[in-house]
Amino acid sequence: MSVNLHLNENSVLKLEGLSISFGGLKAVDDLSFEIKEREIFGLIGPNGAGKTTAFNCITQFYKPNHGKIYFRDKHGNVTNLTEHPVHEIIKLGLVRTFQNVELIRELSILDNVLIGAHIDFKSSWIAQGFKTKKARAEEAALRKEAIEVLEFLKIADRMNLLAGGQPYGILKKVEMARTLMCHPKLIILDEPAAGLNDQETIDLANVIRTIRDRYDCAVLLVEHDMRLVMDVCDKICAINFGKFLAVGTPKEIQLNKEVQAAYLGVKEENHE
Amino acid sequence: MKNKFNVKKNQNLSYLIFGAVLCTLPLWIELGVLKNSYLTLIGSVLIYSVAAIGLNLLLGWSGLISLGTAGFMGLGAYIAAYVTVNLKLPFEVSLLLGLAIPLVIGVLVGLISLRIEGLYLAIATLSVSEILRKSFEELGWFTNGFSGKSAVYPKLLGFITLDKYTTYILLVFFLIAVMILVNNLINGQMGRALNAMRGSEAAAQAMGVNLLKYRLVAFALATSLAALSGVLYMSFIKYTYPATWTLGMSLNILAVIIIGGVRNLYGTVLGAFVVFAMPDLFLKQIPYFGTMPGFAYIVNGILIILVILFYPRGLIYIGNDFKKLWGKLKARVAR
Repeated sequence: MSVNLHLNENSVLKLEGLSISFGGLKAVDDLSFEIKEREIFGLIGPNGAGKTTAFNCITQFYKPNHGKIYFRDKHGNVTNLTEHPVHEIIKLGLVRTFQNVELIRELSILDNVLIGAHIDFKSSWIAQGFKTKKARAEEAALRKEAIEVLEFLKIADRMNLLAGGQPYGILKKVEMARTLMCHPKLIILDEPAAGLNDQETIDLANVIRTIRDRYDCAVLLVEHDMRLVMDVCDKICAINFGKFLAVGTPKEIQLNKEVQAAYLGVKEENHE
Repeated sequence: MKNKFNVKKNQNLSYLIFGAVLCTLPLWIELGVLKNSYLTLIGSVLIYSVAAIGLNLLLGWSGLISLGTAGFMGLGAYIAAYVTVNLKLPFEVSLLLGLAIPLVIGVLVGLISLRIEGLYLAIATLSVSEILRKSFEELGWFTNGFSGKSAVYPKLLGFITLDKYTTYILLVFFLIAVMILVNNLINGQMGRALNAMRGSEAAAQAMGVNLLKYRLVAFALATSLAALSGVLYMSFIKYTYPATWTLGMSLNILAVIIIGGVRNLYGTVLGAFVVFAMPDLFLKQIPYFGTMPGFAYIVNGILIILVILFYPRGLIYIGNDFKKLWGKLKARVAR
């Protein structure tokens, strides 16, 4: 149980000295932050700051060179994520979306959402092949749950349409619905507002809040749309060139000199 | 439950009806409506359909390319012959061994080769297939070498000896069983996982799909369906020699799913009909060209190009166009 000590009672995720480099480039350099339960946490930084790389490290798409990533799973046990292969991460209750929507174009929206329930199927392949009563009941129950998630996100009317050819805003919602199927503890959203118009972005802020309230989970998001970030986040961490800059409430981050410098550049000092 | 007896909603029911229709073929031949040779022709179409469904699982649903189908078909065929003729064991044992041995070899090959993708996987599976074909030539005690190996019609449960017609019914039974099982699997968790793997490996992994495991499952299923096809081949055709199981056969099976319909089971059967029955049924009737050797290959090549240009999802979707055309005609007549 010693590993439990690494994470505070009410925290869900903690990065400790996370580093990864590609060749000579240090994409993420000694990054640390902590996310509390039910917190909406924003990770911001200029282009190429290493935000998505940090996400990929947390979800084990990349194996970090150094550092620990502690996560409190669905059962309250704390585990170091770096010890798990990428496809096991969702079982712990950590699920993500992608910067460029990753859906299956040839499947219906409902089937796409059901992919998110992949780990919830307990019946064997033989049972599924012969469609035993148990396998059918399981499929029906998860199908019903998927429809409920789609209703919650107000896109249930499109559930039988193919994902290919749907507007971008809908696809973003489908991807979010897919993450909700596993009853996550922490959802990681990679640029959820990219490609959305102003009205859709305002809706998105509400959706993120209602997801937090209804599913009782924390949300970690990378986003360039500062209005969204400042509006929705409880806490923000700013990074630049893979290095930690500051962490705090949206107000604190806005007033932080280093963050301002990273985004807007430093005024030339007037040397006498 | 209302949909249970609706053919359009219940795919499995439509497969059963399809199977029942196929089963009437011997009747038409006995009545003299169809030629006797059609039985062998349609029977072979059913046999190749089984292997093609396996390849469709691999290429269509999982997005993995294999050129090794023929090798595993041949392996299934030779094991079936060896077990029933040399070892004098019942058909059921030959079926079991004919599926199990290729499955084990397939999983071993998969474990090594599924770490590579795309063209390299095609090359790896092609070499496995060629190794198998060469073994068929060399292992005389097992395959009777170049002179070929013969078998007899299967004897079910040790006392029901089948003849040409009943073996044909057996083929229909296996094809329909495979169609129903595969249909159930691809419309459930496994199918979604395979689709996800093809569509986006990143998303599949993030949703908990173990890529190597599902690649292996798809590969193992394709291998055992190819082997089943081989076992059925031996039961129905009753004779084989190594030159049957070359790259040409693997490419023909590939042509089946490209022409018929990627990710479509009826399309696969249609494709098998086009590739394996059309040459004998129609092409040979064409004067001058019909007797030209390799004419069927030329037609297949042209067909593949035409299908990719006009029906990239397969010839099975030609039906939709007919429906549209019919609708237009009706509208015009009504006006």
